[in-house]
Amino acid sequence: MRKLDVRGAKCPIPIVKAKKELDQMAPGEQLEVLATDPGSVPDFQGWVKVNKKAALTSQRTEKDETGREIYVHLLERLA
Amino acid sequence: MIEAETNSEFEVGELLSMIDSGGPVLLLDVRNEEEQRAWPLEGRRPVKTIHLPYFEFIEAPDVATAKVPRYPGPIAVLCAKGGSSELVAALLRESGKPARNVAGGMVAYGEYLSPVQVPLDEGAASRFEIWQINRRGKGCLSYVVRAGGQAAVIDPSRRIDFYHAFVEGLGARIVWVVDTHIHADHVSGGAALARRAGAEYFVPTTETVATSHDTRRLSDGTVLQIGTSGISAEVLTTPGHTPESVCYLFAERYLFTGDTLFSDGIGRPDLGGHVEEWGRALYRSLHERLLGLSDRTLVLPAHYAGAVAINPDGTVTERLQKLRQRIPELQLRGQDEFIQALTSQMKPPPRHYQEIVKVNLGAAVALEEQVCEWELGRNQCAAGPVA
Repeated sequence: MRKLDVRGAKCPIPIVKAKKELDQMAPGEQLEVLATDPGSVPDFQGWVKVNKKAALTSQRTEKDETGREIYVHLLERLA
Repeated sequence: MIEAETNSEFEVGELLSMIDSGGPVLLLDVRNEEEQRAWPLEGRRPVKTIHLPYFEFIEAPDVATAKVPRYPGPIAVLCAKGGSSELVAALLRESGKPARNVAGGMVAYGEYLSPVQVPLDEGAASRFEIWQINRRGKGCLSYVVRAGGQAAVIDPSRRIDFYHAFVEGLGARIVWVVDTHIHADHVSGGAALARRAGAEYFVPTTETVATSHDTRRLSDGTVLQIGTSGISAEVLTTPGHTPESVCYLFAERYLFTGDTLFSDGIGRPDLGGHVEEWGRALYRSLHERLLGLSDRTLVLPAHYAGAVAINPDGTVTERLQKLRQRIPELQLRGQDEFIQALTSQMKPPPRHYQEIVKVNLGAAVALEEQVCEWELGRNQCAAGPVA
């Protein structure tokens, strides 16, 4: 599984980088995105509706060692 | 300054002035749907707005750009923090459309402060002046009262540089700073502003609401003064919205009501989880303390719900006489009926209000970035259904 760390970055960076990554992936391959921007949660949901090559498998929230919230988005490259 | 740069951005204040005056501007909101619905940018007049999330521009720039109509004025591109909108504005300009990024996005809108002078009654205007500082994006109101070379600040937001510079511009110095209550929707700048100005800070407390700020206790009837000619502000304890809430009555006419009484409603008494007890206290505060004041009393609240509440002169104020007729909750007779009306239409509490209260009590410290996130959105301090 590929990983993309965009912690600390504000929009549009998480989506811009995820798209770049996804364009290089093979169908079926997965991408885990780590973000700190809470806006990334609805943004990824909205983005996969317009990007036909990506599916949003899951989203979850974790906390890092400093108590900061990390939003984890799991994406899959479609055919 | 380079001309291209000047034309590629809108400052929030410039954009709001343009919308307020009905100038031709097209607002392109590129946030996701959820954010757009929860917190729209609002001017005093309707503005033509289109919604097109920024990721459509990332996905298919040509298609998205073509969806933006030509318009006889500039296109103001808006997002949460000004990053995505900058990208979209640049794409639009490349295709020949006159787009400008709203610098700082909704965060800047939520922080923007706009001062308006409150017209005073004859006799008062020569002795002192009142400035209402309108935080338009949140609907929060704070105040500067100046008498001679002295000034008092009421309910300041945490942008203390603004108040400092503003009072200096009036040729005065801040002698005291007060909060009407422990705010739950925004972080108060009271303690920090007072420290910086070398002024006193007063925040009301009760036996149950204790603050760790260095502050003098305010009791009912405490009188605070500014100016050499002695403008007095009397403290009226008005528990209800919160137990420690007070109002300040300046020169027996100008009533700073905090979240107890607004120009379009009353404060919500449910944030402590004691809606019945606090609601009854609110009823008594309104009926026994405030509504008995003179008809001419000018109510200067700490919030308003929407731009319709802004008067033609730019202020959000109203005479007590009008409010008695205007606000339905004030016409209810009897505490039971009042409580029932309030509890039948409660909205959810402001997000993060418990963290904000802790910071305002001086019991916790928060990072600027965190506070920014907490304060997003309009205030939700009034009783009643979601607007």
